[in-house]
Amino acid sequence: MKKECIAMLLAGGQGSRLYVLTSNVAKPAVPFGGKYRIIDFPLSNCTNSGIDTVGVLTQYKPLELNSYIGSGQPWDLDRMDGGVHILPPYMREGDKGTWFKGTANAIYQNIGFVDMYDPEYVVILSGDHIYKMNYDKMLEAHKAANAACTISVLEVPWDEAPRFGIMAVDGEDNITEFQEKPKQPKSNLASMGIYIFTWQKLRQALIEDEADPNSSNDFGKNIIPKFLAAGEKMIAYRFDGYWKDVGTLESLWDANMDMLSRGDLDLLEDSWPIYARLPSQPPAYIGKSSLVEHSVVTQGCEITGTVKNSVLSPGARVEDGAEVHYSVLMPGVTVKRGAVVRYAILGENCQVEAGATVGENPENCDPEKWGVTVLGPGTAIAAGETVKPKTMLNSEHKEVSR
Amino acid sequence: MKGKLHGIIFSYEKRSGLRELTESRMPASVPFAGRYRLIDFILSSMVNAGMTDVGVAIQGNYQSLLDHLGSGKDWDLSRKHGGLRLLPAFADDNVVGGIREYRGKMEALAGVRSYLEGIRQKHVVLADSDLIINIPMQDVYQAHIASGADITAVCTSNVESDADVTFFRLDDTGRVRETLFPLRDRTGCHRSLEIYVLSKELLLNLVDECMSHDLASFRGAVLQAKARELHIQSYVWDGYAAQIRSVKEYYDRSLELLDPAIRREIFPAGRPIHTKERNDASTYVDPAGVCCNCLVADGCTIEGTVENSILFRGVSVAKGAEVKGCILMQDTTVSRDAVLQNVIADKDVVVKESCTLIGHANYPMTIAKGSKV
Repeated sequence: MKKECIAMLLAGGQGSRLYVLTSNVAKPAVPFGGKYRIIDFPLSNCTNSGIDTVGVLTQYKPLELNSYIGSGQPWDLDRMDGGVHILPPYMREGDKGTWFKGTANAIYQNIGFVDMYDPEYVVILSGDHIYKMNYDKMLEAHKAANAACTISVLEVPWDEAPRFGIMAVDGEDNITEFQEKPKQPKSNLASMGIYIFTWQKLRQALIEDEADPNSSNDFGKNIIPKFLAAGEKMIAYRFDGYWKDVGTLESLWDANMDMLSRGDLDLLEDSWPIYARLPSQPPAYIGKSSLVEHSVVTQGCEITGTVKNSVLSPGARVEDGAEVHYSVLMPGVTVKRGAVVRYAILGENCQVEAGATVGENPENCDPEKWGVTVLGPGTAIAAGETVKPKTMLNSEHKEVSR
Repeated sequence: MKGKLHGIIFSYEKRSGLRELTESRMPASVPFAGRYRLIDFILSSMVNAGMTDVGVAIQGNYQSLLDHLGSGKDWDLSRKHGGLRLLPAFADDNVVGGIREYRGKMEALAGVRSYLEGIRQKHVVLADSDLIINIPMQDVYQAHIASGADITAVCTSNVESDADVTFFRLDDTGRVRETLFPLRDRTGCHRSLEIYVLSKELLLNLVDECMSHDLASFRGAVLQAKARELHIQSYVWDGYAAQIRSVKEYYDRSLELLDPAIRREIFPAGRPIHTKERNDASTYVDPAGVCCNCLVADGCTIEGTVENSILFRGVSVAKGAEVKGCILMQDTTVSRDAVLQNVIADKDVVVKESCTLIGHANYPMTIAKGSKV
């Protein structure tokens, strides 16, 4: 049962900044890039990196996420020994069971699970990042430096550094200071929220952190500073591929568009496949009078209208004369005859009736009033209706403010 | 219905009109409709009707089929009890080494007689693997029970076929009075779709009887010879059905899928066709790409022009290339400025730069698996 390294995936967050898209599902279960859900990225990274034991910590609305992960088979994580495990909060002796209070507390509550595999190292992952990364290389760096903690970092433009958790390092990439969203950043190395810990060190720190009533039991706020204060060896692991936190509607839309341009995030490139659980649907049909340009389509799509610069998920339909521009259509969305969708994210099974207009091009709009239009899952837009840019509607067609 | 019907699918080598397409595989595993193999359709019809135990009688060049079916997981047939069973001949005393073509279904069944004995269900459905259909099998079973027939035979009133198929002459009550093959004048006849429901008990008796008399053919020794003795009842299915037995048939039936009405019949909501999953990303259509009236599976990259065609998973069409009326199977690469018309390219074909390949709609050009042109 002993494993060298296992992964713990934090998937319990509500993802409140995705608003209507996460009103019924946890953030990691939100569809991405046509065929995927966000959680496919860390799970596929694990399996591609040779990590065969993954604990998924769930808390907020986990039903869809749980059934999506299922046995773990699509990610080759249905194993006799190890595999993927869903870890919700649970009752303990007495009446001590509580919700996960913070990211560190979530791991603390599952010390028993980690101990079952008695690993040397634990990788801590988030369920809201889009990236392809070999954790094994990071683990090698961790071992080579004989570190207690390794944090994956990304060089960001200096002017953006104040938005991130910043790691100041010395000449050998030893972390000397951690600054959370600093006004005066000491470096431009942003934490990606991916950590490798030597398990016994982390285990001890979690127990101590739990005993501290003033702690908010969070990795960024408490555990990392605690390691630094204790003078533990901490190194920054520089990652230079594509990485995006898709915790906001804008970044989710951006990441979908990034995928389309097939630059750093090329999903068709097959040396590092991303796996997904998919329904059985026939191939996409692209009709006689349709126009599809710089877009991705997938199984179950039926397109007889125009689709440009857009991402279509399984079962999306764009009818005759309808137009979809710079938009993300999640599974089962229908855009009927003559309707126009621009710069929008349409949640699962939205129906846009004939002649309706959703969203607008930025150039045709007051910059103040412009933004990506978002429809929550199952929203129905009536024939001829207009949904203004930057508007967000929930499934009851009520406007939700950001 | 659940747990009452056992499936047996025949997938042994017959002389096939599919030419190059069956050079390295059996008809059962010929790719179809962008992401499927022929056998997926009958197998999914069974699974969608709640059948949990299906045996596939295999003989011949079945490596590709084994690879496709695997453990049966993709059809939800990897089960603790029952599930998918692959049945190479294992009790065929008549043949040294067991390597010769089966002469017919009864011989194939005799070859797996001990498996038949172990069937848990009371009834068995026999079917061919080269049939494209999406039929609610539970309806066929219920009709079988309701009629009290010995054998229920699924057939269609569409008698058009150039291949070696079986015809029935029915009476007013729908009972099969005559089984005929080959048949020139097909007026008033029905064409068998080679789906038969009968009890396990009758099946075992028929297998034993046929073996004792060295009879191999189900349609000859059972349907034809026993039309009086047994009550053989027809089940007329006039929904979509295609027996893929020639390259022309393969080509026409494939391109027919571009018709939405036909797609709706084969891919109705609630009765999905299952197949082996591959991990492909979504298909990307480049700004330079033109894609019109096509069925496109995942993992394709379209930078050229593609019209009236079917692209399987992982096909790439480079800039300046023109593909019309073609069927391009998995991972076909069409290089820059190549021109393809009425071509069936098997898996992994590479068409090099500026190469022109033109077949005719009545006689499509077939390019064998892995060829570099």
